[in-house]
Amino acid sequence: MVVQALAPRGEPVAIMKDPLGNSFDFCYQCGLCTASCRTAFAMKYTPRQVMNLLQLGCEDEAAASGSGMLCTACYTCTFRCPRGVAVTDMMAAIQRLNLHRKHADRDIRRFYLSFMRTVERHGRFHEVEFLARYFIPNPILLIEEIRLGLSLMTKGKVNLNPPKMKSRKAMAAMFRKAEEIEGRP
Amino acid sequence: MSYVYYPGCSLSGTARECEESIQAVMRTLGVTWTELEDWNCCGAAVSTGVSYLLSLALPARNLALSERVESDLVTGCSRCYMNLIRAQHYMQHNANLKDNVNAVLAESGVQYSGKARLRHLLDVVINDVGLDVVAERVTRPLAGLRVAAYYGCCQGLWTYAQFDSVEDPTCFDRLLATLGAEVVYFPLKTSCCGGTLSMSKREVGSKLIGDLLLAAVAADADCIITACPLCMFNLNSFQNEAGRAKGTKFHIPVLFVTQLMGLAFGLPPKTLGLHRNVVPPDPLYKKIAAGAAVSSAEAVASGPK
Repeated sequence: MVVQALAPRGEPVAIMKDPLGNSFDFCYQCGLCTASCRTAFAMKYTPRQVMNLLQLGCEDEAAASGSGMLCTACYTCTFRCPRGVAVTDMMAAIQRLNLHRKHADRDIRRFYLSFMRTVERHGRFHEVEFLARYFIPNPILLIEEIRLGLSLMTKGKVNLNPPKMKSRKAMAAMFRKAEEIEGRP
Repeated sequence: MSYVYYPGCSLSGTARECEESIQAVMRTLGVTWTELEDWNCCGAAVSTGVSYLLSLALPARNLALSERVESDLVTGCSRCYMNLIRAQHYMQHNANLKDNVNAVLAESGVQYSGKARLRHLLDVVINDVGLDVVAERVTRPLAGLRVAAYYGCCQGLWTYAQFDSVEDPTCFDRLLATLGAEVVYFPLKTSCCGGTLSMSKREVGSKLIGDLLLAAVAADADCIITACPLCMFNLNSFQNEAGRAKGTKFHIPVLFVTQLMGLAFGLPPKTLGLHRNVVPPDPLYKKIAAGAAVSSAEAVASGPK
């Protein structure tokens, strides 16, 4: 049901195919999700409004607004929803739509993709490689963070060596398989 | 009770101080474990935004690895815990999803059957070790130390739902009280710190962190105690930015729960990685020493009758 609603024109978008909770169809617009949301103040459309847009078939508008990218996946809304709507998972579906259509805020988009690329390569998170991928395209961000970076380094918290995971090749294969099952965006 | 330990990426990287204190404190409590062999990243707060299937398959691989050794899988990172329990929960209730995840897992030669037993570090400390044993290990009670117990958000909800109240968990308060600390009223205890927004969307992340710091300062807390490495990183590292967002200056130590436990157990600060905290926790040592002096003086005064 969510598949059709989010990809009405049959776009090969990797989105949620098996939402565990109820779909947004069940939402009765009470607004408890928005009231529970710590980042709703910065969203163009609050979680309740996003659910409403999905109900109305306006998922493009919801995705283009970038609201989904401000969801921190804290799950408070999902836990509290009186209608059992998996709001967080819906927001994640919006995030994926957003990333694949490149509507997302460029920094947030690069943050997500750099992170996953690092994990794909090493099987584990490698801070230095991630930071290089994230900061080099926008050095202004790096200047803001340089003091923190130095502080972390002097405290011995930055490991320059890549993580050594035995099965990292198998991890890359898992990434490929997942893409094959979900469909290439 | 046998455990395998899943440290996760943060604890082996920027949250080294948390890891050091976890190991030292669990040794003191007599909990032994082996590290989960060949573990992988759980996907953190990012994977759901990129691929639904990977957001389940990445944590599921670790669950599958733990099934091979048939031990309880313990994690000290709230985000890892949340991702793992989410994957477990979803696959339990959706066979089709489980098949898809297992098809992905087959690429690395493992399968998830559903037998994995996942445990949070606090769950092990409070329910397996027990607060009575924790109390026995306390050699330097934290009398007079005012602490804000910050449970964290999603992590909080998914974690504490397993053995505590979802909306108003109290296990953390009880643990800190066992150490002799005074737990202050901290109404934002389960509010999200903003996760990765502190780096990817600075102005939003700073406000969220500022709200938490402000609430702790308003409650006259000496420090904030967290059980999540990402909260730990955010609340420690972005106090300047949070201060600017709130029009004030913050300088409040933020400690990982096992760091504070270690102090109460009399372990040296260096063993607990306290020299690595971004906000130096030094003022707390004086306060703890002063509190100990007061309570021993009281003990002498009330003395044997």
